Amino acid sequence: MNVLPWVIITPLFGAFSMPVISLLGGKFRGHWAVIVSGLTLGIAAKVFYTIWKSNEILVYTLGDTNPIGNGVKFPIRIIWEVDLFGALLALTVTFVSFLAILYSLEYMKHDTGLDKYYALTLVLELGMIGIVITGDIFNFYVFLEIMSIASYALVAFRNDTWEGIEAGVKYMFVGSLASSFILLGIALLYGQYGTLTMAYLAMKIAENPTLISKVALAFLVGGLLFKSGAVPVHMWLSDAHPAAPSSISAMLSGLVIKAGGVYAIARIIFGIFNPGLHSYLKAFDMPALNLNTLGWIIIFFACLTLVIGNAMAVVQNDMKRLFAFSSVGQIGYILLGFGIGIVAYGDKIGEIALTGAVYHIVNHAVIKGLLFFIAGAVIHQVGTKNLNELSGLARRMPFTTLSFIIGAAAIIGLPPLNGFASKWLIYESSAMYNPILAVIAVIGTVFSLAAYTRVLFTFLGVESEKVKMVKEPGNAMIVPMLVLVIIILVMGILSWQISDKIMLPTAKMLEQLNGEYIMALLKFIGGG
Amino acid sequence: MFGYWDALYFIYAFIIGLLISYLLMKWAEKASVGTRKEGDGSKIYISGEDQDKVIPQFEHLQGYFTGRHVMWGFIRGINKMFLTFRREHTGLLTDYVSYLLITVAIVLGVMVIWG
Repeated sequence: MNVLPWVIITPLFGAFSMPVISLLGGKFRGHWAVIVSGLTLGIAAKVFYTIWKSNEILVYTLGDTNPIGNGVKFPIRIIWEVDLFGALLALTVTFVSFLAILYSLEYMKHDTGLDKYYALTLVLELGMIGIVITGDIFNFYVFLEIMSIASYALVAFRNDTWEGIEAGVKYMFVGSLASSFILLGIALLYGQYGTLTMAYLAMKIAENPTLISKVALAFLVGGLLFKSGAVPVHMWLSDAHPAAPSSISAMLSGLVIKAGGVYAIARIIFGIFNPGLHSYLKAFDMPALNLNTLGWIIIFFACLTLVIGNAMAVVQNDMKRLFAFSSVGQIGYILLGFGIGIVAYGDKIGEIALTGAVYHIVNHAVIKGLLFFIAGAVIHQVGTKNLNELSGLARRMPFTTLSFIIGAAAIIGLPPLNGFASKWLIYESSAMYNPILAVIAVIGTVFSLAAYTRVLFTFLGVESEKVKMVKEPGNAMIVPMLVLVIIILVMGILSWQISDKIMLPTAKMLEQLNGEYIMALLKFIGGG
Repeated sequence: MFGYWDALYFIYAFIIGLLISYLLMKWAEKASVGTRKEGDGSKIYISGEDQDKVIPQFEHLQGYFTGRHVMWGFIRGINKMFLTFRREHTGLLTDYVSYLLITVAIVLGVMVIWG
């Protein structure tokens, strides 16, 4: 039995059954959401294991067994095409979402309207899963909008404060504009090539790379840079992520900007505008797109992002805002990895850079999930996120402080934690490709170090009045933090085994030197 | 080997860093009047907290330091850069839209010309 559709059906059913479940009582809806997200995690793990074991791309046609239409020789049905990159992202999304929902049991217990909260959280999760499994570009857009609309609503969930409402409205306005650019790009591609299936689109663009395809690519990348939170289109992020409830901030910073941002950029560039295919065409003097240019555009925005994002984190007094700017900075590293992966395509340097970028997506999801859980614990127990009022927290909340030290060290990239492993791959590949890029990456890390050192000194400083009576939060908040701490430590200790066994094959499958993404579809057409 | 690291190199680097820090501290103790171990001037090292005493030139510490005082010199040193960055973060929706349009225009322009 193919379990892939269940990875969407389960959270969808969970979300829409929430109003009915709520009738059973307040406690049930939270536990129902935990069960549903736990099941989704199990299914995503099964999908990942299947693809990892077989090293083959999974293609699933919605409503049929074959994507090819009757009487025609091209795909007309919606397909979900999952490679190792998509499956790894689905696993990461479901894992962090499960922990965020578990964390919400206690963190959100004083809030009202929780049936809507859990329903929206499950919709957010399914939107992200849809993005990472789909092989159809319009279906991708639909899932992107499902994810985006759920996140707009969740940012403004606590509508009794101006902060959430303002951030939610701003995020919605500019987010919709960015989505319009993405839709425009998709419409141009459909108008020019008459197909929405990504792998088939890749073939069609390679056959006839027109100016329209360049314009479409530019709209797609421009819109998705916004969704990633790249500088200078990151400002919504530093408003929205701190304003949301911390469990949602963990999902927004850890997952949304990955699935709907950097993953989508990588999928569109490597899946649809395959750099290998175009450099091959170029070698034979045939018309082709110059994807090196796009690689350098991404590197340019990556450098801006990692310096400005991390630098802005240094001067924040709001702990969640600091973490949000830090997320911007970390997106810079991921984009740098992908950028180098494009310009050094087919080379060992490109492969290592892609491995680093993929690895850092997973690492940052785990680390930033932990950091926002910590911020939530502090807000829940102390009632403030202002760093000037949190001095001396370490004596009253030792576990939270220890978790913070581990999370901060990991995100700065201190060995032997997981953040170091991925950053090291990015530093190393950028140093090999162009040492100036490595220097810029290290400058970003210096700012990151400065920002987190300030928080650490706050926690370890003289006890302030505000923290004198506080204590650790309950188990429902401690357990998700503890799980993430253990994951960070284990991923740090086994970093190179994980890199070799999981990240490198994932990067290779994304890079698809032999056009695996296209070949998986060609099997149905008869050309494979 | 490419793409890999040896933990021993980090231990060496850490030991060398510690040694350099120690030598710098010893040099500072000898060379500066503000870094004596006891008496006036000892509070130049921020680890010496004294809530009743305000240190001349370091009034901003208000007798003790908190997280916001850490990296004070670093932030002060490149203050202009931070001010420039902060000035751009206006929080205005119109600015957010402008930056989005500029970004898309840059990507579009570069792709059309050199893509």
